[in-house]
Amino acid sequence: MMLTLLTFLPLAGVALMLIFMRGRPSAYKTAALVTSVFEAALAIFLTIRFDTAQSGFQFVEKHVWIKSLGISYHLGVDGISLILILLTTLLTAIAILGTWNSITDRTLAFFVSLLVLETGMVGVFASLDMFLFYVFWEVQLVPMYFIIGLWGGPKRVYAAIKFFLYTFAGSVLMLVAMLAVVWWYAKHGGPVTFDILELQKAGFQGSLALWAFAAFFIAFAIKVPMFPVHTWLPDAHTEAPTAGSVILAGVLLKMGVYGMIRFCIGFFPEVAVKAIVPVMILSAIAVIYGAAMSLVQPDLKRLVAYSSVSHMGFVTAGLFAFNQQGIEGSVLQMVNHGVLTGALFLMVGYFYDRMHTRMIKDYGGLASPMPVAAGLFSLFVLGSLGLPGLNGFVGEFLIMVGVFQYAKVFAALVAVGIVLSAGYLLWMYQRTMFQKTPERWLSLKDLGAREIIAVAPLVILAVWIGIFPGPFLDLLHVPAQTIMAQVQPYLAEHGASLVGAFASFFGGF
Amino acid sequence: MQAADVLTVLPELVLLAAACALVLMEAFVKTGGEGRVDRTAMVAVALTGLLASAGVALGLWGEERLSFSGMVVLDKWAVFFKVLFAVGAALTVLMSPGYLEAHQRHLGEYYALVLFAVIGMDLMAAARDFILLYVAIELMAISSYLLAAFFRYRVRSNEASLKYLVTGSFASAILLYGVSLVYGLTGGTGYESSGAVLASLGGVGAGANGTGVAFAMALVAIGLAFKVSAAPFHMWTPDAYQGAPTPIAAFFSVGPKAAAFSAIMAAFILAFPGTVGEWGVLFLVLSILTMLVGNVYALVQKNVKRMLAYSSIAHAGYLLTGIAAMGWSGNSYPGRGVMVYLVAYTFMNLGAFGVLAYLKAQMPDKFDYSLKYFAGLGRRSPLAAILLTVFLISLTGIPGTAGFIGKFYVFGGVVWAGLWWLAVIGVVLSVVSAYYYLRVVMYMFFREPEEEYSVRESISGGMACSLWVSAVATVAIGVVPSWLWDAVVGAFGTLFS
Repeated sequence: MMLTLLTFLPLAGVALMLIFMRGRPSAYKTAALVTSVFEAALAIFLTIRFDTAQSGFQFVEKHVWIKSLGISYHLGVDGISLILILLTTLLTAIAILGTWNSITDRTLAFFVSLLVLETGMVGVFASLDMFLFYVFWEVQLVPMYFIIGLWGGPKRVYAAIKFFLYTFAGSVLMLVAMLAVVWWYAKHGGPVTFDILELQKAGFQGSLALWAFAAFFIAFAIKVPMFPVHTWLPDAHTEAPTAGSVILAGVLLKMGVYGMIRFCIGFFPEVAVKAIVPVMILSAIAVIYGAAMSLVQPDLKRLVAYSSVSHMGFVTAGLFAFNQQGIEGSVLQMVNHGVLTGALFLMVGYFYDRMHTRMIKDYGGLASPMPVAAGLFSLFVLGSLGLPGLNGFVGEFLIMVGVFQYAKVFAALVAVGIVLSAGYLLWMYQRTMFQKTPERWLSLKDLGAREIIAVAPLVILAVWIGIFPGPFLDLLHVPAQTIMAQVQPYLAEHGASLVGAFASFFGGF
Repeated sequence: MQAADVLTVLPELVLLAAACALVLMEAFVKTGGEGRVDRTAMVAVALTGLLASAGVALGLWGEERLSFSGMVVLDKWAVFFKVLFAVGAALTVLMSPGYLEAHQRHLGEYYALVLFAVIGMDLMAAARDFILLYVAIELMAISSYLLAAFFRYRVRSNEASLKYLVTGSFASAILLYGVSLVYGLTGGTGYESSGAVLASLGGVGAGANGTGVAFAMALVAIGLAFKVSAAPFHMWTPDAYQGAPTPIAAFFSVGPKAAAFSAIMAAFILAFPGTVGEWGVLFLVLSILTMLVGNVYALVQKNVKRMLAYSSIAHAGYLLTGIAAMGWSGNSYPGRGVMVYLVAYTFMNLGAFGVLAYLKAQMPDKFDYSLKYFAGLGRRSPLAAILLTVFLISLTGIPGTAGFIGKFYVFGGVVWAGLWWLAVIGVVLSVVSAYYYLRVVMYMFFREPEEEYSVRESISGGMACSLWVSAVATVAIGVVPSWLWDAVVGAFGTLFS
């Protein structure tokens, strides 16, 4: 019952808001905040009750849904899904509090959309049934479409459609792949089932495994987003309202990597091992390309958006290194990225609320009228570029260790991205916070109490994970070992030379 | 005819009684005086007839009869479609009065014609003989031609009817030609009896007789392809839908289309078992063409009603993939998905057209269904905008709605048959469809209107009832689809008993 409650609590809040609180902004805003805080508290409660030593899924619920196809309402979490659920619930609460007064038009619909979106995101991480997963995965396209399209920036309509079509295109291919694996299993001696855990035991082989892997991988790569299917991201992140950007960057991108873990690796470990080199190459391109693009962005939000492409490149590289450090670092870096980029978007939102511009050239010297904001901003910027003592460093370090063990050349390439990230972030910070303050910005108000409270949990997390990541990594040990156990049989036969690896991957098609 | 045969067509007899009553009632209505004639009683009679027919049909669920010398069947298959047609027609009737009042053409024969068309559709699904199938199609079609021309003083309405009539007659002639070949080859017109003979004659390559069988099969297929508006036999569809009164366009897009699909499935499974591979390929080609044509043309439409007409062609394409998979695999399993889809499609498409009918009734003079009139609808009439959004999202195939369940089952069957590449074509084209459906949503919510115009009254009465039923059904099928699947499995089971 706990996970059902966790998944549908936001919808209950939505129902209350729609029935009782129409036309009373303070009431429904409070209700939205209370719901999301309760949700976060519930997620923390689950984490405390969670047994990190136990392998497999916990808090499992299973009820038959569509009997003829073996589809069930099946929920459960392991350490990876739990830590991402924590991130989701926390960022949603923060997004609601942080953009309390930013939305003035159709406010009720905005908060309703955010809470519906939360249900979708938690549902994706908690589903253990492929059909259920797909339902949650797709359902959240609709609220996100409206969040970008209704309350976004000047090019919001274009960005909203682009976001929708890109993701939808990927996920419908995934749907066909899902059907294909289900029927393959049914015709090769298994039951007709959409149960993820059952299908992970199926041992898909042959050309089906390759094509289905490709379909799943493309769907998730679009969401991550990996180079070269990242082009929806800068538009969507830039045009979305602050809360939308926080959720998009903080949570939605992680669903892509999460899907890779569950499906690409869980269903097709053999193909996943063969795909290491292509994925590493794409990740390295994403890391460097995203960083290079960030360097030249004149728009603050676009800069942060491209930095996401770069940072998510780290995550995929770490995951496909297939060793303890790489996988744990990869998942932890997803949390770190959610915390830091979410915070950066929130800070940019605070600046935008006051200045109504996102262009870096219009900024300058904000440190003198807004010292508190500048201080917090500096913390998140430094975290993002990987300063030891803050969380970004821990994740990047683990990933580097993992990738280094796999292939030194990729570790070196990924390191270039770290250097570049220091470049674009510090340069951006210098141009916005330091230098001479333009006349018109001298009277800007510093952050208020609400705004500081909203980012406070992120500050705490950034420092906590930076100094003492143990509790978080504890959640990830067992799932990382599970992933490694899945790919272990195939890693040994995986050729060491790049050419051989390439041939083995593309030879299969 | 024996007394027991009456039971087989009892739902149709109920409809016939109601339709005749409607014609009589209209004849005795006083016209020419001042003040409007209240026709609520007629709406009530039509609804009662439809619901009674659905109720009688449901009461017969589980009965197995073959009557009138094997021409008409009463089984779960027939009941399934009879209920579906009656519900679809009832929703159409509910959304009509306001629309017809706004156009000052509220006449009783409208409802009588709808009922006659439903009788034809019922018999199309229940027919087990080509001659009866032909007669049923004609009954349905002639009523449809008249309904399309219901606004007889409008050029567009006349154009719609005439196009429908000419192409419809053409299709009927082709179908008849195919039936005459069947008769020539087998000496009979019953599905199963002639099917057994045709199967023994073989298919393509089995000499002259084999070629004849293939010809007969192809001609019947083409005749019915006209009726489901499959490309390249779809040209009449956009004009007929656009010119016809909107509730009637809604009705055309779901009722006769579903009836034609039921006829295709029954006729081809039973009468052409020997050429199963051939008709599989034929429908495969048709389905790809239809999906392409429907989606690509819908993409460039500025008129929402016309866009929905093309989108209905696209949906016919998705449905045909299920038929193709049935023939390809030689197994009826994919056909079940087609039936689920037909139910889902009935509710979501009726709903979408219904919202258009409501808007037209509110602004009869200005509103011409072009996109610009949808701008700002989210503010002016939030309920209509939200309902239309639900229907469009369902047509797109987003989970949580009936449209997704339909696509899921149809493409599930297609992949099951090994045609995964066909499913890929289908889903990729539904991404294309997302663009034109969402464009309407975008106009409603993200654009401000160019000029001020407002709806006069909120959704009420029969229209509200019709739209809410459609919306609730759309979401309910999306969330709990198992009962529908069970019903479909029951219905399909009896086709091969």
